[in-house]
Amino acid sequence: LFQKRADIYSVEIHGSKDLEKVDKGDEKENYKDLKGNRKKSKKQDDLRKELDLDDHKLSNEELEEKYSTSITKGLTSAKAAEILARDGPNALTPPKSTPEIIKFLKQMVGGFSLLLWAGALLCWIAFGIQFAQGVPSARDNLYLGIVLALVVILTGIFAYYQEAKSTNIMASFSKMIPQQALVLRNAEKKEISAEELVVGDIVEVKGGDRIPADIRIIFSQGCKVDNSSLTGESEPQSRSCEFTHDNPLETKNVAFYSTTCLEGTATGIVINTGDNTIIGRIASLASGVGNEKTPIALEIEHFVHIVAGVAISIVVLFFVIAVSMHYAVLDSIIFLIGIIVANVPEGLLATVTVSLSLTAKRMSKKNCLVKNLEAVETLGSTSIICSDKTGTLTQNRMTVAHLWFDNQIFSADTSEDQECQTFDQSSGTWSALSKIVTLCNRAEFRPGQEDTPIMKRIVVGDASETALLKFSEVILNDVMGVRTRNKKVTEIPFNSTNKFQLSIHETDDPNDKRFLLVMKGAPERILERCSTIMINGKEEPLDKERAEAFQTAYMEMGGLGERVLGFCHLYLPEDEFPDTYPFDTDSMNFPTSNLCFVGLLSMIDPPRSTVPDAVSKCRSAGIKVIMVTGDHPITAKAIAKSVGIISATSETVEDIAKRLNIPVEQVNKRDAKAAVVNGMELKDMTLEQLDDILANHSEIVFARTSPQQKLIIVEGCQRQDAVVAVTGDGVNDSPALKKADIGIAMGIAGSDAAKNAADMILLDDNFASIVTGVEEGRLIFDNLKKTIAYTLTKNIAELCPFLIYIIASIPLPIGTITILFIDLGTDIIPSVALAYEKAERDIMNRKPRHKKKDRLVNEQLAVYSYLQIGLLQSLGAFLAYFTVYAEQGFLPYTLLNIRTRWEDHSNNDLEDSYGQEWTMYQRTYLQWNGYTAFFVSITIQQVADLIIRKTRRNSIFQQGLFRNKVIWVGIFSQIAIALILCYGLGSVAALNFTPLRFQYWFVAMPYAILIWVYDEFRKLFIRQYPGSWWDKNMYY
Amino acid sequence: MSKEEKKPFRETVAGWRRFCYNPRSGEIMGRTAKSWGLILLFYAVFYGFLAALFTFTMWVMLQTLSDDIPKYRDRISSPGLMISPKPDTALEFSFNKSDNSSYQVYVDVLKNFLTSYGDSKQSRNINCASGRFFEQNEVADKQACRFNLSNLGPCSGQEDDSFGYSKGTPCVIVKMNRIIGLKPEGNPYINCKTKVKVLASLFDQKTDQAQLTYFPPGGTIDLMYFPYYGKKLHANYLQPLVAVQLAANSSNTKDDVTIECKIEGSPNLRNHDDRDKFLGRIAFKFQISE
Repeated sequence: LFQKRADIYSVEIHGSKDLEKVDKGDEKENYKDLKGNRKKSKKQDDLRKELDLDDHKLSNEELEEKYSTSITKGLTSAKAAEILARDGPNALTPPKSTPEIIKFLKQMVGGFSLLLWAGALLCWIAFGIQFAQGVPSARDNLYLGIVLALVVILTGIFAYYQEAKSTNIMASFSKMIPQQALVLRNAEKKEISAEELVVGDIVEVKGGDRIPADIRIIFSQGCKVDNSSLTGESEPQSRSCEFTHDNPLETKNVAFYSTTCLEGTATGIVINTGDNTIIGRIASLASGVGNEKTPIALEIEHFVHIVAGVAISIVVLFFVIAVSMHYAVLDSIIFLIGIIVANVPEGLLATVTVSLSLTAKRMSKKNCLVKNLEAVETLGSTSIICSDKTGTLTQNRMTVAHLWFDNQIFSADTSEDQECQTFDQSSGTWSALSKIVTLCNRAEFRPGQEDTPIMKRIVVGDASETALLKFSEVILNDVMGVRTRNKKVTEIPFNSTNKFQLSIHETDDPNDKRFLLVMKGAPERILERCSTIMINGKEEPLDKERAEAFQTAYMEMGGLGERVLGFCHLYLPEDEFPDTYPFDTDSMNFPTSNLCFVGLLSMIDPPRSTVPDAVSKCRSAGIKVIMVTGDHPITAKAIAKSVGIISATSETVEDIAKRLNIPVEQVNKRDAKAAVVNGMELKDMTLEQLDDILANHSEIVFARTSPQQKLIIVEGCQRQDAVVAVTGDGVNDSPALKKADIGIAMGIAGSDAAKNAADMILLDDNFASIVTGVEEGRLIFDNLKKTIAYTLTKNIAELCPFLIYIIASIPLPIGTITILFIDLGTDIIPSVALAYEKAERDIMNRKPRHKKKDRLVNEQLAVYSYLQIGLLQSLGAFLAYFTVYAEQGFLPYTLLNIRTRWEDHSNNDLEDSYGQEWTMYQRTYLQWNGYTAFFVSITIQQVADLIIRKTRRNSIFQQGLFRNKVIWVGIFSQIAIALILCYGLGSVAALNFTPLRFQYWFVAMPYAILIWVYDEFRKLFIRQYPGSWWDKNMYY
Repeated sequence: MSKEEKKPFRETVAGWRRFCYNPRSGEIMGRTAKSWGLILLFYAVFYGFLAALFTFTMWVMLQTLSDDIPKYRDRISSPGLMISPKPDTALEFSFNKSDNSSYQVYVDVLKNFLTSYGDSKQSRNINCASGRFFEQNEVADKQACRFNLSNLGPCSGQEDDSFGYSKGTPCVIVKMNRIIGLKPEGNPYINCKTKVKVLASLFDQKTDQAQLTYFPPGGTIDLMYFPYYGKKLHANYLQPLVAVQLAANSSNTKDDVTIECKIEGSPNLRNHDDRDKFLGRIAFKFQISE
């Protein structure tokens, strides 16, 4: 056992070296993240150097001297405060974050901000020129510039605030469980926050505590620690004050920060705190792993590029057109401003943020706490989940799974909330077995838990004994009572040399004065000591046939990856062992052979009951679930099979070889769907071999893997262009969590380092929560598509006025300010409302989107929004515009080429189509009236747009017009805002709105209806002719 | 984008070239010729339909309109004032009375403007009863009232070819914007105020009044020219004019004379609006040099 452990540690320590080797060996793109980070190798040097810790070799006195402390009195408060000031608090520094101001400035220049800044700048330039020329309306440009700058700043602040908020969620989360430590200071024991611990403090830990710092044990009593968060090895290890190994990681007298003390008590001197602890140093390794851009961030970047590209090309094109049409440069600049403002969906990025945070909120209600907003969607595009086994897929507690007695294997209920066991309990053998299970067990329930369900009660004892205790409590309901009635006379606890545990009891039958010897242990050892076997309650000789039956059962249970224990008993004859017989465990003055074998019990950490369903959901959603565990291959495979990671019908290469009875080498690897890869094999693999495995097997289990290998596996998956989700809980997982496209940490079992590195935290540690996350992620991706399509559409309706204005020289149909009122006013709530849209069809039944092919904004979406619906909208709005002008006297043909005369401030007798003459202000007011009509028409048509965007392929009637109530809130808000702007603020000249005749609200209505009808036809054809030309070009 | 993602330049160019024309799949800009054909055909049909639709809806909208009068006239409830000639920029007249090329442009404009008031043009116009509205709601063929150029006195151009510009006594014709159906109440007339900035010396600035003469006398606007029935029904309509002549002011040269004319005497013709500086009023400036 010791040998094995040493092996694992060496993987751990030299693991970092492995990585470097790979870096050098493979200079290609795949490892740029690691390669690019020189700082990290320095950190590794640090790590290796400081591992030359010699505290474990020192005697207590030397330690006292080194840390100027006293084992009996501890540090003085003053001294402690001094050291605390020097070393800082005993906590892991969270990964260095970007300074707030940089984050803020990033928001100010990200996305469309640069375009808008350019617009604002142009405004101010135009203002400067016009002001110098004394143009009376020069100030309009100044204000517009200020408004644009404000828009950028406000949306920037909003995005920054959103980001900060999600970070705060995290901060509050990690503060939820303040850790306490029992420390000796000023010769007094007191509880202080673990953060205040300093080097030299004397601390006491007991079973159940987390080790508050790296400590050198100076006194211990049956102390066992769980180093799994450090090494991934879940076998409890004992800790004592003896120096047993040169390597500080392996010596028994050092316990490490953030590992858990399972049982016993220990006292130790704090030798390292905070970031200097071993865990702290591993955790800081994780910060060296680059953070990948989230898929949604890439998508938004792509989308911004598209929109900015369109904007810039239109701007350039029309600048050229304007100049070649002999417009003054100043006028051309003013056109540019309009084109930029019309083209940029100012409110969209804020809307996306809000939609994401709404989803994040919804997810946190379902126990997925999202740290990084963008990670909300990442989970949706996930194509591979690398899941940890313990705690995520399994319940993280041993439970009795199978029993073997009377030559028969019985299955026990392993679900989380078992209340009774249903296997056949009538046999006499069972009553004997249950007695042994109950009596030969040192585990006990903590008192005062009578009301808690059995499976949730806290037990003092190791994992197997706990499992047995709970198992028998479920069946007998009164384990403690049985134990008191069968008073324990003596016992020999389990130890690794004997490999058995034994105890001797009085019987509860007052007429039976015999003692009962009960024993449990490794099955083969137990069988060796038996001469008889109990069948149906009767002792029968243990002949060869029965021994073989035992072997078969043992192998079968072992093959399920379960830990098997054998049970036997013996009633000591009354004459030889009277009441007063002095049992002595040292001399073993009682028989320990020729016992009666009763049965076998096997235990496993059973899968959570929700997991198989969740795995099959993942599978139907096209997500590959890979198990990566530090556990044994057999156990891993068994769990994988029971949860469906390896499906019932698929075989590994080894299985095929076994079935066909041929050597493993002869098996065609392509025949095997499943693969179980051992960490040792993985170590010798080239990257190509790993890629081959990842690409060609659909069901993969990696067993006995080290944290570094986990990282390599993640990178392998990413080379397949997969979006990889990694679940993990230990510090050792944090590099992989960070490397993954989305790292998912366990909220209950997870260490702080893992939570820091992760993008998402599963509050209930339940794999099934990931599936809901995936669902939400996919939904939000679809809904963002709808939001963006909705928002982009009206950009054309805002842009066309400027283009027609330049080309046909008509009075400007819509003002820049008015556009801003659409983008940041009427459209905001509806576009957020689309985030509440339900899925159109079962999104969990389709493949995850391909990172590079299925874009958020694809050609179809842009073309359909811009060139079809957008154009329809423009026509509707223009109809309203022409109607307003015509009904006031300016017929459409009069408007053509009227621009110079229209905008001439000194021209105050412009004649309309009916011979009336207009002053400049009267015209301007009419122009604003036109703006308002245009605005109202866009708003009305956006209502239609909103309704058609509810679905991308289903008919609105299939989706239900009223199922998403928020859409209606959106529609009403849209109309209400428009009404307020029109009639409420119509008198504020600066806003360029005027009250509008009521009938103009309906002018664009036919177009709105047409938009809806046309889109229904589009969807109908898409549904009717999947794969057709229409489907390919019209489905976005 | 991070640095690592930057591809070598050659690769980028090759990528673009492949995008422009991909010899392997025969794709031009990401589509094959057939695919381009189909999509263009689709858009031709689609846009053809949209064009037809838009034309149709516009036609329907225009059908609802009358040819004679606009549907609504609420945006121009009160007329603006305007002058002729109109300087190009900012209503500032600037000329040298001894240099006829400096004012020729104004004279030409005025002449041109007044041609439509010439007797030959007004042959079909009738003489109306002065002082009351000339209503002809029931009449299909609407008559226009004659406006005799002689009303404008020296500013009619009949006696003085240069409209007084050569003498430093320039004429400006003030007119009220045409508005269909407008009936001024009371007895409207044009009244102007002048402000002269005398540059006697740098420190001694004072404002003075300049003398103005109105034609017709008192700047009256006769009600018989109202109401107006629109371009189509009232084809020969001539709006009443008022000429304003700046009196000679020989003592001061290089004076800035600002003239603000307002329509007065009619309660329903507004002449003061904060935002509209031309509603019932107009301000212009003369800078006459010798």
